[in-house]
Amino acid sequence: MRTRPLAAVLALALALTACAESGGGESAAPSDVSKELTKENITLKLAYTDDPPSKALISAFEAEHPNIKIDAQQTPFSDYVKSIKLSMAADTPPDIAEYNPGAMRSLVPAGLIYDLTAYEKLYGWNDGFPAASLEVLRSNKEAKEYGTGGLYAVPGALSVLGVFYNKQLVQAAGVTKPPSTLDEFKANLAAVKGKGTTPFSLGGLEVGGFQLWNALTNSLGDEQQYRDWVYGKPGSTIQTDAAKQAAQTVVDWVGAGYIPASANATADADAQANFVNGKSAYLITGNWAASVIEKGMGANVGFFLLPQAKAGESTVASGASVAFSISSKTKHPNEAAAFLDFMRSAKAATIQFDTGFMPVNNEAPIQASGLRGDIAGEFKKVVGDNGIVPFPDFASPNMIDRLTSGTQGLLSKQSTPDAFLTSLQESWTQYHG
Amino acid sequence: MADRRRLIALAYIAPAALVYIGFAIWPAIHTVYLSFLDWDGILPATWAGLDNYRAIFTDSMLGPSLWHAIVLILFFAVIPCALGLFMTALLQGTTRGMTTFRVIFFLPQVLPLVAVGITWRWLYNDEGLVNQGLRAVGLGGVTRAWLGDYNLALIALGFIGTWAMSGLCMVLFLAGAQKIDTSLYEAVAIDGGGPVRRFFVVTLPALRGEIAIASVITTIAALASFDLVFVTTNGGPANQTTVPGLLVYRLAFNESNIGGAAALAVVLTLVVIVFVTAIRRLTREKP
Repeated sequence: MRTRPLAAVLALALALTACAESGGGESAAPSDVSKELTKENITLKLAYTDDPPSKALISAFEAEHPNIKIDAQQTPFSDYVKSIKLSMAADTPPDIAEYNPGAMRSLVPAGLIYDLTAYEKLYGWNDGFPAASLEVLRSNKEAKEYGTGGLYAVPGALSVLGVFYNKQLVQAAGVTKPPSTLDEFKANLAAVKGKGTTPFSLGGLEVGGFQLWNALTNSLGDEQQYRDWVYGKPGSTIQTDAAKQAAQTVVDWVGAGYIPASANATADADAQANFVNGKSAYLITGNWAASVIEKGMGANVGFFLLPQAKAGESTVASGASVAFSISSKTKHPNEAAAFLDFMRSAKAATIQFDTGFMPVNNEAPIQASGLRGDIAGEFKKVVGDNGIVPFPDFASPNMIDRLTSGTQGLLSKQSTPDAFLTSLQESWTQYHG
Repeated sequence: MADRRRLIALAYIAPAALVYIGFAIWPAIHTVYLSFLDWDGILPATWAGLDNYRAIFTDSMLGPSLWHAIVLILFFAVIPCALGLFMTALLQGTTRGMTTFRVIFFLPQVLPLVAVGITWRWLYNDEGLVNQGLRAVGLGGVTRAWLGDYNLALIALGFIGTWAMSGLCMVLFLAGAQKIDTSLYEAVAIDGGGPVRRFFVVTLPALRGEIAIASVITTIAALASFDLVFVTTNGGPANQTTVPGLLVYRLAFNESNIGGAAALAVVLTLVVIVFVTAIRRLTREKP
């Protein structure tokens, strides 16, 4: 008698587990692709996390297509990347979802988002979207290698990693123009430090620390080799001289007092606040922070891309996009694709720029001055050089933890550049093997 | 007749039992099942056997993170219980201001640990209250961003736990001390014993049960800690404060390795059971 309830529980457990896990199958491609849109009134569901620019882009698209209504649902980033995979696997997923190549890679082999190659050909997306911005959104069927294979999303706004500087503080140190080589930048740092100003604010607790190493690696190293590594091209490695030199530079800068000793306990938002409040002369972050920084500093702030080792070398900088993908379960793939196509329009370009991002269509005429002007100018240069490279945390699922803790080891001078790179490569090999 | 009574009894138990099975037992069984699967949360799962467990025990992160959790027991359980006993000895028998005292010391228990963590991040930072205090007493030389210090971050984190847990221990012990027969204290006094003797001969043995409960609760809080670590250091700097709970979270949500996360959760549960059993053995009254 006593064993019976337990047996019942176990039976129930087994019955429920038997039907718990199920999933999709092969990678999916849309059929009946067409530019012809429905005349009927329809509603598309859209899931996103970044706003700006999403809301403004959605309204502008709705204005152009009065019969298409977009029902948009925003979720904060950390929750979004955790819940979106489940929402996309549900029976009634959103038709369009903001795409993150790092966090959402398992949607590709599950066949839950469309391979958009057919639409790319139909609309001619190679024109109007910078090639590098589409590249990171391409993936092979297993999602083991990026930069090749089908296209799984389209960028709706672009961003780039660079250096913000406090004009008053650098001028006080006799620095009058943005540096054109890395050595010149180092000399500027020394001059700023000489005036008693801490050169950098750095959010070592979160992503700020490894973004410094990331920017240095991009400026010292071979761009294609770095790309291949992030994309997971077989045989790639990050254990290169340039990456090691970049890590050593971080260590040297800690030793020279260019980076505050408290960096490892500083969150990105705090580092940004310190910079805005004039506690440091430089801050390395993306232009996504531009509108907040400009609000705090007005005309006293400028922006440049971390210069290359030698003057005249083509510019390289890490960048990302707010990108959108289409659910393979949508009933309106053509209309969803029209929304994606809208991103390269002149109208969208204005919105993307006004909301603090860089426009997808680099040819779109933009009027800008001050900080925005700096960013737009630098961005145009790096897109022109086809020098936008992906962020390193897309390289493998746990790379972001390795990058963060590894940089913390460098910042606290407890680990060597070699150990740092070995740990990154170990994670890479585990995944791409 | 007996059958009928049993049926009625079962009917009364059923609602609570169903809730308990549905929200406690079933997820636990399911977690064990998941730990034997290779599953990314979306694609169909495949049977992995013991692979997940093998991977966990060969992961170089597990050892240090378990050790960190054990160090945290000192700060979450041992020091708070000692402090709680000390405060009980001091406050026992006083009536004036007792409620105020209890409220103040118990307050950390009422606050969500996430809020506690954020507050302490401010207190511990470069310009925070802790460093201001040190500078004020002429110890400017030792100031630092405590949670970012390679060697001291874990200890700094531990003291947040001490702050949060001490009040709980004290309130439990004070409540227990109220039921002690005062004639026992009189007996010690007649024998010429002072307050120290009173404490060791009467109070401490009488609080055996409360000490057991407090140690179990606080030890579990240390071993299964997640929220406090997540909001203060997120395991940093350089993995000096990683705890098993944080690794479970990373496996499940950053790496989409549900099987591995479940396996680590099972291992963590076993570790907790071992510690709790040991505490209960140690504090059991000898017949």
